[in-house]
Amino acid sequence: MNDKIRNSAMAADPRTLVDEKIVLAFLSASLAYVLIAMLAGLLYSLQFIDMYPFAGIEFWSPGRWRFVHTQGVAYGFIANAFLGALHWAVPRLTRHPVLDRRLSWFIFFAWQAILVATVVGVLFGEAQALEWGETPVWIDPVAQLGLILVAINFLTPILKTKGPMYVSLWYFIAAFIWTPLVYAMGNFLPEYVIGGSAAGAIGGLFIHDLVGLFVTPLGWGLMYYFVPIILKKPIWSHGLSLVGFWGLAFFYPLNGIHHFLYSPIPMFLQYGAIIATIAVELVVTTVIINFFGTIYGRGDALRSNLSIRWFYIGMVFYFTTCLQCAFQTTLTFQRIIHFTDWVVGHAHLVMFGVFGFWIMGLMLYLLPRVMHVDEWYRPRWNHWHFWLTGIGMLIMFFDLTSAGLVQGFLWKALAPWSDSITASKPFWLIRTISGTAIIIGQMLFIANVFMTWRLSKSGALQSTPTQHDPTHEDDAGAPALA
Amino acid sequence: MTPRIESRGKRITILVMAIGILIPGGYGFIEKLIQFVRTLNTETGAGFTIIPISNYFLIAAGMACMLAWAIANGMFHDIEKPKYTMLESEAELDALNHGVGDERNHSNG
Repeated sequence: MNDKIRNSAMAADPRTLVDEKIVLAFLSASLAYVLIAMLAGLLYSLQFIDMYPFAGIEFWSPGRWRFVHTQGVAYGFIANAFLGALHWAVPRLTRHPVLDRRLSWFIFFAWQAILVATVVGVLFGEAQALEWGETPVWIDPVAQLGLILVAINFLTPILKTKGPMYVSLWYFIAAFIWTPLVYAMGNFLPEYVIGGSAAGAIGGLFIHDLVGLFVTPLGWGLMYYFVPIILKKPIWSHGLSLVGFWGLAFFYPLNGIHHFLYSPIPMFLQYGAIIATIAVELVVTTVIINFFGTIYGRGDALRSNLSIRWFYIGMVFYFTTCLQCAFQTTLTFQRIIHFTDWVVGHAHLVMFGVFGFWIMGLMLYLLPRVMHVDEWYRPRWNHWHFWLTGIGMLIMFFDLTSAGLVQGFLWKALAPWSDSITASKPFWLIRTISGTAIIIGQMLFIANVFMTWRLSKSGALQSTPTQHDPTHEDDAGAPALA
Repeated sequence: MTPRIESRGKRITILVMAIGILIPGGYGFIEKLIQFVRTLNTETGAGFTIIPISNYFLIAAGMACMLAWAIANGMFHDIEKPKYTMLESEAELDALNHGVGDERNHSNG
């Protein structure tokens, strides 16, 4: 059978194109990790308000549980969700299945094993002394191999496509090339090759490249896919989207050292990182303009479609966090906010407020399709999930940003350290409360997904996935099929 | 979905934004990059400069090759076309999926 006939046969049968079970498996794992990571974060936050229940027990050391929080979000929640969404988007965009379904399942189980080993490793004190790279050293080569296999599995269908590629595929190609390189740079160079503050500079590059060259291209790529297909409207300008892509490709890689401003790293490197960051923020503007140009005239979708609402609230947060980034990387801002909770607020907004929100939106779209249901178990729970998470995130961001300013100005005024602790306590209490609201939201969503899945198995909710959009708000008031 | 010709106003807007954003961003960035490279000649800065610079050039060189390949293969020839073909392809897959679903429901029922 020649390629043309085989390709058209695959395109004609969607069952051979997308492995829906692997999409469901990755998305379910992502939901499990978001809960684990958030509970670890909640536990960690309790020590700030003098309520830590396991003080003095090494295994329950808050520092170790912080690693579970950060690693769980990056590699458990975000990576699993992106892998699930990619198993849907890449075959549909290319009209070719991934290289091998067995390889996809191998990657799935290997990735979960890596995550479990990471959690167990860091809890037993095996953490590597690298921010965002705390995975124990013996896991690094396995994770590196996993990332290469992911790239091979997805790049094969992408490289089979003919003619001008859609922007999402550009972003995916870049992410599949960048991510293994970034992981190798951040985990092997400082560990085995470079020492001292030069290793710190590499650590800075790694932290930010992980966000900018792994999470960002996959996030943007997925948004450029999901927003138009849900709105059933092409993006405002494909040309502008490519301007954003190539701008990111050339400006981003030097950003990371801005994490170590006012450090022993030479100032010319710090200045370079500041300039590169501001250049990227200008590029980001093209993306924001494009997405808001796309929804222009379809604003009703923000009210009527929950996925679109998650996506666009995430984009507002994205613009906020990027604008914040352009200012906060200047030395003027750093004088005040360095080492304060401002940075923690910023990190939460970008990792969860942006990418987490986009993931929730795409899960709302994908899960009913891969479970073949026409209705959620409790549609209203999805709205509670949205509002609890959205309001919780907003409060947490403003709370931590304010806390950072209070701390920064107190330190600048050379006030006693204990004064800044006393002043921070109310902010830390609000952080814990807002975090709890976010966790309750995730629990509701997970419960809804589980019950919907259970009913789908019994056939009670079974239907054709494309008959209507279950994220549509009009369905929220419809009687739930329980 | 029939591909539409983009309006002249939109094309001008995109061009102005592309130039207005990329030129200042690019100028600042390239100017700083040149400074980095110059630092390689200094005794104190060379050790610190070479690692981030070589990392950057490794990634940027790959991207530059990809850009050249894309231009040579006509990827930017009809730059707005992919956004229409993507939606058409999705609609076609949804229609096919619908058919599969109908078939499955029919056989279940």
